[in-house]
Amino acid sequence: MGEFINVFVKAAFIENMILAYFLGMCSYLAVSKSVQTAFGLGLAVIFVLGITMPINWLIFEYLLSDTGILGMDLTFLRFLLFIAVIASMVQLVEMIVEKYSPSLYAALGIFLPLITVNCAILGGSLFMVARDYTFSQSVAFGLGGGFGWFLAIIAIAAIREKIRYSAIPAPLRGLGMAFILTGLMGMAFMSLMGIDPAVFGGAGN
Amino acid sequence: MKKALLNFFQRIEPDKKKSPFLHTLFDGFFTFAFSPNTTTAKGVHIRDGMDLKRTMVHVVLAMQLCYLFGTYNIGHQHYLALGQYTGLLEGLHLKIAHGLIKILPIFVVTHVVGLGIEFYYATRKGHPIEEGFLVSGALIPLIMPPDIPLWILTVSIVFAVIIGKEAFGGTGMNIWNIALLARVFVFFAYPTYISGDEVWVSALEKTAVDGIPTYMSAQYGWAHGFFDWIFSGVGWSTFGDGGVLVADGFTGATPLSLAASGGWESVTSVYTESQMWWGTIPGSIGETSKPLIILGAIFLIATGVASWRIMVSMVIGAAVMGMILNGIAPAEFTESTPGIFKFMAIPWYYQLSMGSFLFAMAFMATDPVTASSTNTGKWVYGFMIGFVGLIIRVMNPAYPEGWMLAILFMNTFSALIDHYVLEANMKRRAKRTQVAVAS
Repeated sequence: MGEFINVFVKAAFIENMILAYFLGMCSYLAVSKSVQTAFGLGLAVIFVLGITMPINWLIFEYLLSDTGILGMDLTFLRFLLFIAVIASMVQLVEMIVEKYSPSLYAALGIFLPLITVNCAILGGSLFMVARDYTFSQSVAFGLGGGFGWFLAIIAIAAIREKIRYSAIPAPLRGLGMAFILTGLMGMAFMSLMGIDPAVFGGAGN
Repeated sequence: MKKALLNFFQRIEPDKKKSPFLHTLFDGFFTFAFSPNTTTAKGVHIRDGMDLKRTMVHVVLAMQLCYLFGTYNIGHQHYLALGQYTGLLEGLHLKIAHGLIKILPIFVVTHVVGLGIEFYYATRKGHPIEEGFLVSGALIPLIMPPDIPLWILTVSIVFAVIIGKEAFGGTGMNIWNIALLARVFVFFAYPTYISGDEVWVSALEKTAVDGIPTYMSAQYGWAHGFFDWIFSGVGWSTFGDGGVLVADGFTGATPLSLAASGGWESVTSVYTESQMWWGTIPGSIGETSKPLIILGAIFLIATGVASWRIMVSMVIGAAVMGMILNGIAPAEFTESTPGIFKFMAIPWYYQLSMGSFLFAMAFMATDPVTASSTNTGKWVYGFMIGFVGLIIRVMNPAYPEGWMLAILFMNTFSALIDHYVLEANMKRRAKRTQVAVAS
């Protein structure tokens, strides 16, 4: 359980997908104009990351790696299979959102299916492979990474709502300001970088 | 008298069309000295003598005691390190002169650069000068180490004012605290000048005696020579030439860096509790003296300029986190216990009296522009600063102190906190009207 929390905290706050790795910027910049839609998209990303990560772990471990059921090293196929899993999950999310929240569906527009190519999601799966996570760690990493992404997008959406009526110099309005905001937010998030939650696991001994 | 003065000012007012820059400059200083009585022609407005400039002057006033003590403490730490004039009042004139030589250039450069940028932008936009830099400009010298090179100071202020404020549309529009942005810029771009044990005592340089590295006082410049000329004239002791070796056992370590390596024991082996309370310890220029900061905070609360909610909730947040850390820390230390657990074991009330906690609480977190603006939001905002700040200070080995980064961290979320507080409020009121309609 302690390990689960460690990976979650690390993925959500210390190595935030957006503010530390700058992954998943496209939808982050495009859909962060209002908190409400950002909230919806953030939830969708948490869901997709949280589901695809363990599925991809299972596929990688039992199908692609040479200790799997096929007995061959098929890891070069991981990009294809990961993307396929992600795409099908996004389809699922799309159907759910369309059924239960048509207004959010309309607000998100093209960006909902585009979660498929959200770099944070494929990036998360590849991080998981590169870091040799176990199954429970991959679940924690998926949920934590998604939560960090969610937090970052609603925070920037709130700031962008707040500065909507500010006298920002004309060339910076819109995306220019969003880039500056992201950079400064990244600087603020550097505050937590360097903490290693694993150190505190052994505090009881 | 006042009328003659006003007439004189009206006569020298530059023409707005002919020289826009001079007019903006004039307008800025004029409205700073006199509360303007111009009113808008249309619509309903509330007019208050307590306008933006008057509000900011209160904050600057509250910091004056920190300035006085900071000036003295720069000199006191310098001589304490050399083992000369170790008494508080011994060599007072030398300590104050040394402090002035260090703090005046920082203060002047800060204001020339910061206000210069502000004046330039105000002229370009055709706006009156807002002087939002007054508070930031008073804060920045207080949070810098005394030996900060002036060009680094300049670069950091240019960054903070242009990227942090003018890009957002000027005074009152910024999301992150300007003074802290300037400091965090130095912190990440030139870390050796603002962290570690060597930067907090001024005018020391590295040397070696018999191959053992140590410090000696740097050669004094013309400014010290000028004061020497005055002091020798009245028959007081003088600076001399410098090049004096530091006293035995001097390391320059601040209480926090001692705490991070060896816990409360190693802090008290170097500094006494009363030293840390009264502020005769090395540190940023204005952060060391706790009673003077508390006086400033009381002044700010009494005049209604700063929010007591943020201050109280920040203390609560830090205390709660401190107690949690005390709870996690092991009861007994062994030889191999890492310093981080000893740091955790420091009682929470000592945590509050170390480092820049009080300074950040009184002057940084309460900045009304970057804090949450709803009352509930302020409680959450202050609590989270206290909570996160102590996490950064104790748990993050990369940074010696947490409040600067914690406040920037919560500045990021203050808009979000406000958003949800407002939304909850709207929901509650909608429900109330529904009930009223139904009954």
